[in-house]
Amino acid sequence: MNWPSDWGLRIRMFVTMFLLFGLYLVFAVFLASYFGGGIWMMVVLMGGFSIAQYFFSDRLTLWSMGAKKVSPEEYPELHGMVGRLSQQADLPTPTVAVVDSAMPNAFATGRSKNHAAVCVTTGIMNTLTQDELEGVIAHELAHIKNRDMAVMTAASLLSTIAFVIVRWGWLFGGGRNGRGGNQAPIYIAILASLVVWIVSFLLIRLLSRYREYAADRGGAIITGKPSALASALLKISGRMDKVPEQDLREQAEMNAFFIVPVSKGWLANLFRTHPSTERRVERLREMERELETY
Amino acid sequence: MGVLDTIREVLGFSAEHDATRPWDADDLFQLSAASVTMEADLDYDPLAVGGLCFGSVSSTDFTSALRDVEGVLRGPGFAEIRTDDHGYTWAVCERPTFEDVLAELYVAADTLDERGYGDRLLAAVFPFEAHGGRQDGRDAGQVVYWVYSFRRGSFYPFAPSSSGEKSRDSTTEVKLQSVLGDELDVEDDTSYWYPLWPDEPGNHPWE
Repeated sequence: MNWPSDWGLRIRMFVTMFLLFGLYLVFAVFLASYFGGGIWMMVVLMGGFSIAQYFFSDRLTLWSMGAKKVSPEEYPELHGMVGRLSQQADLPTPTVAVVDSAMPNAFATGRSKNHAAVCVTTGIMNTLTQDELEGVIAHELAHIKNRDMAVMTAASLLSTIAFVIVRWGWLFGGGRNGRGGNQAPIYIAILASLVVWIVSFLLIRLLSRYREYAADRGGAIITGKPSALASALLKISGRMDKVPEQDLREQAEMNAFFIVPVSKGWLANLFRTHPSTERRVERLREMERELETY
Repeated sequence: MGVLDTIREVLGFSAEHDATRPWDADDLFQLSAASVTMEADLDYDPLAVGGLCFGSVSSTDFTSALRDVEGVLRGPGFAEIRTDDHGYTWAVCERPTFEDVLAELYVAADTLDERGYGDRLLAAVFPFEAHGGRQDGRDAGQVVYWVYSFRRGSFYPFAPSSSGEKSRDSTTEVKLQSVLGDELDVEDDTSYWYPLWPDEPGNHPWE
């Protein structure tokens, strides 16, 4: 199949990353020229945390979701499906895990294609047809293929640090080992961090939505069935509302990894990690049209 | 890992790029020489049958491309297009000689390619059967497969263990890899040696 490339998406993604990188650069230069001591300790500490989290992301995420790694004997169908889709996507077969939950969902995690895991809930396996489940798993494999874990970790690193300075910066004061009159009061650092945090937060969310579109495209191209993924998304989002409240609260943190996030009432589009289901489905339908008119 | 790969990853189109990577048609014929080695050195007879596995596309044009493939396969001997339990399509053919099977499946793959569906091709699978009466403890009649992976552009061995369980006889697979390594482009990274289990144990992957 000769799919026309989505240059608009690539350019938007590039511009977003460019802006984010520029913002971080200014922020880092600002911190470096006016502050020392405590803030730097914190930067190193938080950086270390993020990197550790990134390195153990496959096991950490599975563990925090209560996902259980499953063998080919336990889930031959699922393993067969993941294996063939990986082959099509040119990926080594990832770890396959299952969460025992009625909520239909799926996520992928892991720092690289050799340390990746794909996880589905028992709910999604019961809800979707074979074609639809393939679409969802291919979407997750596209995330692995596009190294979204690495991209998003890199994108959030300084944002996390800015947040920590906003929250805990007052503990560190202006830094006692200041270099003469160069030392600025800590509230300036806190203020600047607040601005950086808010702007970067919005940019990261925007980037996350673009990555979802890209994974939808990748998934549809891997399976060759855009409409199956579209109908899976519609099915999942339709069922998401029927989930008990405490599940929602527990799982809210993990939204970034889900194929369709759990929405708690009204959320501004600006803050979404995922584009709205309608828009994603609309794009997949466009791909389906390209298929037929090709 | 080239710079281009990294750019593709950062801009998020690595998945679509690699899933549509073209294949090299000549690779398949490496098996022709390899089948002689399989027979002479390892006592494995090529079975004059083979299967081409590909994913389907939800479009009308693809259905017509499938009819083209069916037309191409309508030679002497048995041939069919079938769908397995995983929803994948197989073009299976049986011919008087192994060479014929190879040529026939090549034409089938090429037909799909010409219609623009080359990237749907997943694997070409060729079975080899062990002679009886060997001393090394293997069962006569054990069937092993050479699988050509279109995405990787390389071959890998697949030896289901004869117990009927879904487990692989990795000793045999490694042996096949080391003996045939000179004649075939064998995939080095064993994490790409995807199994292709049949719907029913003991059958060929397409059955």
